[in-house]
This record gives sequence, structure tokens and C-alpha cells, in this order.
Amino acid sequence: MEQKSEKDRTGRRSRGNWIALGVATGVFVLLGVGWPLMNAVTPSTEAVAADHDITVGSDEDYSASLSLPQSGWEVDTTATQVGQNHLFLRGPVQLELTSVTAPSAEPATPEELWKGLERTSRIGDPSAELGPPKPITTAAGDEGLIGELRTGNRIEHTAVYPSPDGMFAVELVLGGKEATAADLDAVKNVLRSLTFEHEEGNP
Amino acid sequence: MSREQSEPYKHVPHEPHGAAGEPPYRHTAEGAQVPSPRQGTQQADGHPSPQDRGGREERPLEQLPTHGFDERDSRSSGTWLPALVGVVVLALAFLVGLVLNVLNMSRAVFVFLPQALLALVLCVAVFAVGFWVLRRVRPVRSPSLVVSVTAAVWGALAVTGVATYANTGMSGLWGQILGFEQAGSWGAALTAPLNEELLKLVGVVIIAVVFPRAVRGPVDGFVVGALVGLGFMVVENMFHALNSISLTGGLAPTLSVVQTIGVRVFLTGLGSHWALTGIAGTAVGLVAPFGRRPGVRRVVGALLLVLLAMFLHGIVDAPLLTSGVGTLVKVVLVFVCAMAVYFTVRHTHRRRVREALSEEGQALGMRRSAATALAGRHGRRRELGHVARPERAAVRKRQKQMVETAEDRAVVSRTS
Repeated sequence: MEQKSEKDRTGRRSRGNWIALGVATGVFVLLGVGWPLMNAVTPSTEAVAADHDITVGSDEDYSASLSLPQSGWEVDTTATQVGQNHLFLRGPVQLELTSVTAPSAEPATPEELWKGLERTSRIGDPSAELGPPKPITTAAGDEGLIGELRTGNRIEHTAVYPSPDGMFAVELVLGGKEATAADLDAVKNVLRSLTFEHEEGNP
Repeated sequence: MSREQSEPYKHVPHEPHGAAGEPPYRHTAEGAQVPSPRQGTQQADGHPSPQDRGGREERPLEQLPTHGFDERDSRSSGTWLPALVGVVVLALAFLVGLVLNVLNMSRAVFVFLPQALLALVLCVAVFAVGFWVLRRVRPVRSPSLVVSVTAAVWGALAVTGVATYANTGMSGLWGQILGFEQAGSWGAALTAPLNEELLKLVGVVIIAVVFPRAVRGPVDGFVVGALVGLGFMVVENMFHALNSISLTGGLAPTLSVVQTIGVRVFLTGLGSHWALTGIAGTAVGLVAPFGRRPGVRRVVGALLLVLLAMFLHGIVDAPLLTSGVGTLVKVVLVFVCAMAVYFTVRHTHRRRVREALSEEGQALGMRRSAATALAGRHGRRRELGHVARPERAAVRKRQKQMVETAEDRAVVSRTS
């Protein structure tokens, strides 16, 4: 009788352990595989209307917004984190925006930003090479630098615009693995579509 | 069921005194106990030898069961097979996490190698301190090193590796449901509390299966959970440090790394993942000893603890109170909740262990204060200090046995 009850208790504990292990492993696999799978099988882009202002970066005093001049642009909702990283798609063309913040209280110059971009662009592709910059001005009159980014056999267009107070900047990369030079030239004016606005209420 | 099976801890010496009525222990100082000079009629541990027991049935201390139900069961096929499978699951999860983390971090590491090494040194230092503290805060005695390391590695590798993909996937879904602009600032608060807390909790559950004696009560769950959270927090700090280099435009990579880790340790560290998973891990400790029948109250309590951890995580990640003061408020809230849980379970565990030690000590003829002093590390060291040096090893061993037995009895009193 004692052996049977001990056996029963051992059996119950064994079943309990198996259930706990099974559920735990199932949850682990479900979360790690399930969410990415669901995201992959559902549409992960959202259409963006032409001339719709999208805030792509900000600090206490200024905000930066992008207004895409052409229709047909979509935003990749998976790769986009509003206010920080944005990925816009138009056919084979990709437009990537990154908002960067100066790490110290000193404002960053466009030349310093270009030099930093030279290094950070190698994170995405170790073979990336940034060409010499040329001045560029947005449609709203904000000044920045523009140049070419060579990654493998592709040439992408890169621009960087510091905010008026120099405390943050927006980096744009216009490219795409399947995009041709003609595709990029057709939308190149998007690199001048950035606008900085002074935040209301701040001096 | 035999008397031994129904009352496994009742078989302690009832006659601790020798045949001549002398106590087996001689006090060299107030409250101390060392083996009596009457070694001829005593066993090496100071207990009366069988001929001194006057023929009454007694069991020397070393023959007392030092294992709880779980240890006996862990040697049976009831628990060793799930434990073995659990080990395989752990190993696979560690491997998958390692590969994913390497894929995620390797490029940034190669481009900014000196900064990556600096981040690694800082993170290892933070881990070392946190690891020592969290093992130390378990009352009575520290968790085993193997369990502690397993917990930390689960958080550091398995959770960080998988959580990145889980969060990205779920963020994308929220973007589709709410629109990317609406989902943007709330993205972290809508994904991380569910994914990360569940992934960390899963590790505590698997550890409870693989190491049955490691999670036998709420206080064990807290400490193991906190160690999982610590591992996760340290690797996450590394990620954020490397990411901050890009987010600051590569302008000052070293400064970015130091600032990021500094903020995440000294500003938000007290209310970080170790605290959140300590709360959630307590839930596992609450129900683990009861197998499939923990009772409705315990299940509800456990669920509430897990939900509390998720809620607090959501508060931390929400785009509310984003100023420096606001961040501090959130950190303090998480820390206070974690401490409330910790001190509650700590108090209960220490009380039960003291009660068990008091009973044990009474049966052995020890003074109550000397017996209950063994419940703490300082108490044990203090008692040991009263013992002559050549005898300390044996007394230390006896202390360890008594404490193990007392913790076993504390588990029995919870489960009965």
C-alpha cells in the first residue's frame, strides 16, 4: 500500500514535470518563431500619401519631418521605429532614415557627422565606402552634405542634415539592392524633402 | 505507509546526553558547542555512541535524511528523465541564443572593436557584482553555483537572442494593426513586457524541472528569477551600448558606450530586469513544490505576480514620464515592488527554517539561540568562531547538515 502511494506520488510529480517542461518549451518556441512568422505572412508595409509629413527625429528644441514628394511610397512597419529609424520603399528603391543625437553638449558639424557616417555605414556592410561630400540644401533651406556610398557593386546616395542647433541630425540613404541608377535618379529629390521645425513654446 | 515514511524527520536522537548524564557538547563560550572530551564513548561528530544511548532508538545526525522529497524523487525515473530532457532544451536554447546574438552584434563589434571590448569589460564588471549580490541575498544559504550560472546564462543567451526576433515580429504586427505612427512610441511597451517576461519566466520553469532542489519555494523563485534577469540585463546593456554608437552618428563611440552603460546601470539598474524577473520568478517558486495540484490560491497568486512583472515592465517602456525625474520614479516603483516581494518571502522562509532548526536543536540538546543562529551566515560563522580550530571542519559539516535538514523541513511544512 505504501509503495503504491509513493509510486502514485512519483507518477504525479513526473507528469507535472513533463507538463511544465512541455509548456515552457512550447512558449519559448512559439514566441521565438511565432511572432516573426506571423509578421512575415502578413503585409508589413503601409502606404504613405504624397506630401504627408512624417516626423523622423526630434530633440527638445527642433523636430525633423519628411514629406515624400512622389506617390507610391510605402513604409516598412517592421523595420521602422518612429522617431529613430525609418525604412521607406517604392518598388526596388529603398530610403532609409536614421535620426542621430549628439552624444555631448557640443553641437555636431556636418563634416563631423559625415566622418561618423563613414564608420557607421560599415556596420551594415563592411565593404561600404563613403565618397567625398558636397554641400546640399533642402527645399526649406536647411544645409547638409550629400555624397555617394559604395557598397559592393551598388552606388547609393547619402545625405546628412544637422538640425539648426546641431544637437541632432538626420541621415538619409537612398538605394536598394535591385534599384538601378535610373530608379534612384527618378526619386532623388526626396533627399531634399526634409524640414526642420522649431518646437513651439521653446525659445 | 511506514512510520519512517509518514514522519521522516521525527527520527532524531531523543537522548542527546551521554550515559553519565553529561552533555555531549562542551561550551567554550556562551552559546557555543564543541564535541565533549568524552570521545571514547562518542562518535566523531559528538553524538553519543550507541552504547551511551541506553538502548533507546536514536539516529545520529549524519543519518538524518538530508534530502527532501524532491531529491529522493529526483533519483527516480519520475524526475530524472524530464530533467535530462530539460538539460537538452537548455543546451539547445543556449546554442540558438548564442548564434543569434553573434549574428546581431558581430558587425558592430568588428567595426568598433575597442568600444565593444570596453562595453564587454564594463558589462562583465556589472555582472560580477550583480551575481554576487543576488546569490548573497538568498537567506540561509546561497543557491548552488551551477544553478546560478545556468539561470544567468539563460537570460544572457537564450532570452536575448530570441527576444530580439520576437519583439521585432510583434512590433511589425502592431504597426500593421495600429498604423506605424500610432504604434511607434508605444511599440516597446506593447511587445517587450509580454515577450521578454515570458521568455525569462520559461527559464525559471525549466530550471525548476532540471534542478528540483533549486526552486522549492518563493524565495528560490525570486533569486533564480533575479539571476535570469541579471543575465538578460547585462547582454541587453551590451546591445544598447553598441547600438548607441550608430544612434549618435559614430561621433564619439567611446563616450556613447560609457554613457549608455552608465545610465542603464546607475540610473535604471535598480529597477531593471533582475527586479522584474525576481517578481515573476517568485510565482514559479510559489507553485513548483506542489506539482500538478498547487491549489487555486497559489495559482492565482502566481498569476498575479507574473502580471505585476509585466505591468511594471510596460510602465518602464511606456512613453510616459520620460524626463529624468520621471524615469527615476519608474525605477523606484519597480524596485520597491521587488523589495516588497523579496522581504515577504524572505521573512517567511527564515521563520520556517528557524522553527525547524529550533526543533532540531532541541532534539540534539542544543540551546535554542545556538540552533536558530544557524539560520544565518553570520550566525553560523559566529558559532564556528566559538569552536576550537581543529574541530571546525567537523562542526561546519554538521552545521551544513542541520541547515539542509531544516530547509527540507521548511519545504515539508509548506507542502503539508
